[in-house]
Amino acid sequence: MTDKQYAVILVHSTNYALRAEKVLAKAGISCKLIPVPRHLSSDCGVCIRIERANQEAALQALKAACVEIEGVHEI
Amino acid sequence: MAKIVDARGLPCPQPVILTRNALQENTAVTTIVDNQTAQHNVTRMAQKAGCMVQIEEQDDGIYLHINRAETPQEQAAPQPASVPVRGPLVLVIPGEFMGRGEHVELGNILMRGFFHTLGEVEPLPDAIVFFNSGVKLVVDGSPVLEDLQGLHDRGVKILACGTCLGYYELKEKVAVGEVSNMYTIAETILRAGKAVNL
Repeated sequence: MTDKQYAVILVHSTNYALRAEKVLAKAGISCKLIPVPRHLSSDCGVCIRIERANQEAALQALKAACVEIEGVHEI
Repeated sequence: MAKIVDARGLPCPQPVILTRNALQENTAVTTIVDNQTAQHNVTRMAQKAGCMVQIEEQDDGIYLHINRAETPQEQAAPQPASVPVRGPLVLVIPGEFMGRGEHVELGNILMRGFFHTLGEVEPLPDAIVFFNSGVKLVVDGSPVLEDLQGLHDRGVKILACGTCLGYYELKEKVAVGEVSNMYTIAETILRAGKAVNL
């Protein structure tokens, strides 16, 4: 099994998460919409999981598309 | 003496499974792993099972000294609510969306979140049965394919209704699990210790 290192990008709403997913897909950055990990929030929200190696590129793509970000956490 | 489980070089989830099996027959188990993911997975499983875990890093591997707390009283007089279900745990997926509502997009997000989470929580279902539009989840291009593959690799039986795949003309595109029929589906649900319908 490959041991990928991941980070999650938290956004303000489910709709932002969907937008972020579309933006990243378009930019060719692999990502996965997942529930916010339990240790980060008790709310039932979704966030975007990316590979840490792609973090910079992902944040730039999201910024360029005006998707506001709440935070980035390594998981 | 602690039972030694040498899990070095073994792929996930073997270290966890071997450790769990060893803990069923031994109160003290030392599992040796060679990577952090295995260390975390084994530690999490053991702590969840109420065990003490001591981590010792050595040159030839990470030694996890696991001690199971003796709980004879609990075993002798279990609470009715905590009696484990006898028989397989079966998940029934009758549609491609989780729950009902006017927005399928939300149902899609929930289903993706559910299958991702299923890989991280206990207990693992023994079988997952997909029918009606639920079969769209087991074919090429499904948003949960990666998660289903992971569950399948961990021994979860994945059954997809052949009638439904035929109806949607998706039989050639099945990417995980097996194409099943109503006999097997009916038996799987009826013989379940517990069947959960999504």
